[in-house]
Amino acid sequence: MDFGFGEDQELLRSTTRRFLTEHQSLADVRRSMEEPDLFDPVVWRQGADLGWTAMLVPAEHEGGSVTGQPLVDLVVLAEELGRELNPGPFVPCNVSADAIARFGTEVQAKEHLPRLARGETTSAWCLSGDGSPEPSAVEVRASRSGDGWRLEGVARYVHAAADATLLLVTATGPESGVVNLLVPRPSAGLTDRVLTGLDLTRRFAEVHFDGVTVPGAAELAGGWAVVERCLSVATVLQAAESVGAADHLFTATVEYAKKRVQFGRTIGSFQAIKHRLANLLIELEGMRAAAHYAALALGDGLPDADEAVATAGAYVDDAFAHLAGEAIQLHGGIGFTWEHDVHLFMRRAKVNQVLYGDGAWHRERLIRLVEAATAPSGGA
Amino acid sequence: MDVIVPAIPGTYDGFRATLRAFIAEHKPTLAWKQRTGLRVPDRAADVELLRTYVRAIHDAGYVLDRFSAEPGDPHEQRILEQELVAAGVPHVLGNPLVAGALKHFGTDEQRSTYLPPMARGDHIWTQLFSEPDAGSDLTSLQTRAGRDGDDFVVVGQKVWSTWAQWSDYGYLLARTEPVEGPAGISAFILDMRSPGVDVRPLREMTGTTDFNEVFFDEVRVPAVNMIGAPGEGWRVAGASLAEERSNVGGAGGVDPVQRLVGLARRHNRGGRPAVEDGAVRQQIGGFAARSRIQRHLGQRMATKAMKGQITAADAPLAKIWFSELNLEMVEAALALQGARSMAVEGDELTVEDGRWQDAFLYARAWTIAGGSNEIMRNLIAERGLGLPREPRGQS
Repeated sequence: MDFGFGEDQELLRSTTRRFLTEHQSLADVRRSMEEPDLFDPVVWRQGADLGWTAMLVPAEHEGGSVTGQPLVDLVVLAEELGRELNPGPFVPCNVSADAIARFGTEVQAKEHLPRLARGETTSAWCLSGDGSPEPSAVEVRASRSGDGWRLEGVARYVHAAADATLLLVTATGPESGVVNLLVPRPSAGLTDRVLTGLDLTRRFAEVHFDGVTVPGAAELAGGWAVVERCLSVATVLQAAESVGAADHLFTATVEYAKKRVQFGRTIGSFQAIKHRLANLLIELEGMRAAAHYAALALGDGLPDADEAVATAGAYVDDAFAHLAGEAIQLHGGIGFTWEHDVHLFMRRAKVNQVLYGDGAWHRERLIRLVEAATAPSGGA
Repeated sequence: MDVIVPAIPGTYDGFRATLRAFIAEHKPTLAWKQRTGLRVPDRAADVELLRTYVRAIHDAGYVLDRFSAEPGDPHEQRILEQELVAAGVPHVLGNPLVAGALKHFGTDEQRSTYLPPMARGDHIWTQLFSEPDAGSDLTSLQTRAGRDGDDFVVVGQKVWSTWAQWSDYGYLLARTEPVEGPAGISAFILDMRSPGVDVRPLREMTGTTDFNEVFFDEVRVPAVNMIGAPGEGWRVAGASLAEERSNVGGAGGVDPVQRLVGLARRHNRGGRPAVEDGAVRQQIGGFAARSRIQRHLGQRMATKAMKGQITAADAPLAKIWFSELNLEMVEAALALQGARSMAVEGDELTVEDGRWQDAFLYARAWTIAGGSNEIMRNLIAERGLGLPREPRGQS
């Protein structure tokens, strides 16, 4: 048993950290966050050279991972990107790459995967109208149009849609169930509106489909199974991003408690503060254990992968949001200022809580799995 | 990254089968009703039956690593643990933490004198640490051991000692040095049958007796019975307490979250099965997540231990996680039973023979014993995060 990262993964971590410190630190993100465009394609392509979008792409399509466990490699990257509240389309690009590699045709793979791996294509996932991962919430409708598809409707709360050149669109099909389509952006009839959002370090959009047509070859076969897989990968990667962000914020909060003096003592010497920080460490370690195990279980296809992913979804982002709120409180007045970074973490946490299934959604999923495993006699 | 525990080779099937048959043949039928937690038999006859059982296992050549100087075959050890736990009766009598202290700090003679009879069930041990005025603040303990010739003479009082009423030996912390705090404490092996030892069983809020008060009225302990050097007792104890904390919560049996699902199916809320109630589902789903994370925290700790990366925060963190989740789950179990939760063991209306009511009452043992969770939080903050120590008050 070795429930930790290997040497190669630690090297990946230090390389990534150095790169982000030099090219896209939180200070850099802060500087760009009040500008209309947060996305920096040059940095993104350099990041792609470091493997940010290549891990889930097979070698024959210019991809490759550091170890035999690409999802665990991605956890390392997600934690580092999360530490700096990176605005980039890390989660949607990897979700799309995984979906195309897993469900796509050879033609689709050849067309999209090398460009995703190189960072030339960035993608976004148009899931539903209200952001929830339910078939009934899908508001884009796909109808047959000759040999192809015609799309009408809207998808909302879509991360990085306005920067993307490829959209993975989940739509209700002409029969029951959903179809997933790869839609180039721009396309005729496709418009988006960037939301004025709570999270200042990422951009989300509302994407309108007004008679967008794509050929039949744009379909990613698999229906709702594609959505399930995308959700699982997104949940794991976002959980890891939250772990990285929470770790950074927690460390900064402990440092602050060691420095800030009131009543002639550092505030970290007060037990009321110490116990709150201890609670936050407990939550942070819980987040970490949940995220790492989910990546391991999903990546290796362990029998309890569904439970593991639901556990991460049920716990991690709610804990991150709690930790961020506590971090503001523990910073006191300085934590309430615009200039301090702590509110940026809080904003990130609040939005992560509602993406790719909120905590309540994952807890419901988890109890269904437990129910299925509990004998009718009731486990007594 | 993996959490793979190497599979036990099929060549061990014979070992397991023989062991299982042996256990089945020798397992005693006890009058004592076993309850959740680290509980102690309440009848002398049962203790004797358990001693006979443990002795038979030992004499057949099955010895747990914790009691032997040389580690055994790892696969055999795992099978032994699994089968003994599955048997459902205690196979370690008394508090065995002194074994670790003897291994790390004892003399060769102490090890050879005390470890084998402990393994054989001939010697039952109790831990003599906490005092009425030294619970969380254990280093302020006041039981004294003064040197007198080849002996130390012990005067004082201990409390919260499990198994003391059935114990042959005690693992004692007492003040030997003329300084306050940890530097004045030494560790001893104390013969519980020595003149001047008075054990008084304590009845706890559960109604059962798992703990005792122990009084020492000029009890003579040979100086050779000191574990480690004079003034080294706090270090000796620290090693065993860490082991106690990290062992917490390892009980087998049916997953408590599944038990809660069972309760939620059988009991109604608002006129329909509670398991259909959204708030109940959310609560149990949350428990399921935290219960799984508890296992993953254990896997992380095992990995860190293997790599020598354990921090001072790890064991306290695991203890808090388990004990507070356990408390919330048993509280939820009572809530699911509604008014019926007022019926306890012995009443015809009781649910599952009162196991949840007993577990609810006992849950506070986990949040207090082995270092209260408040002390655990201090340890995490001070030793784990490097925050300033709590100032000592003037007394």
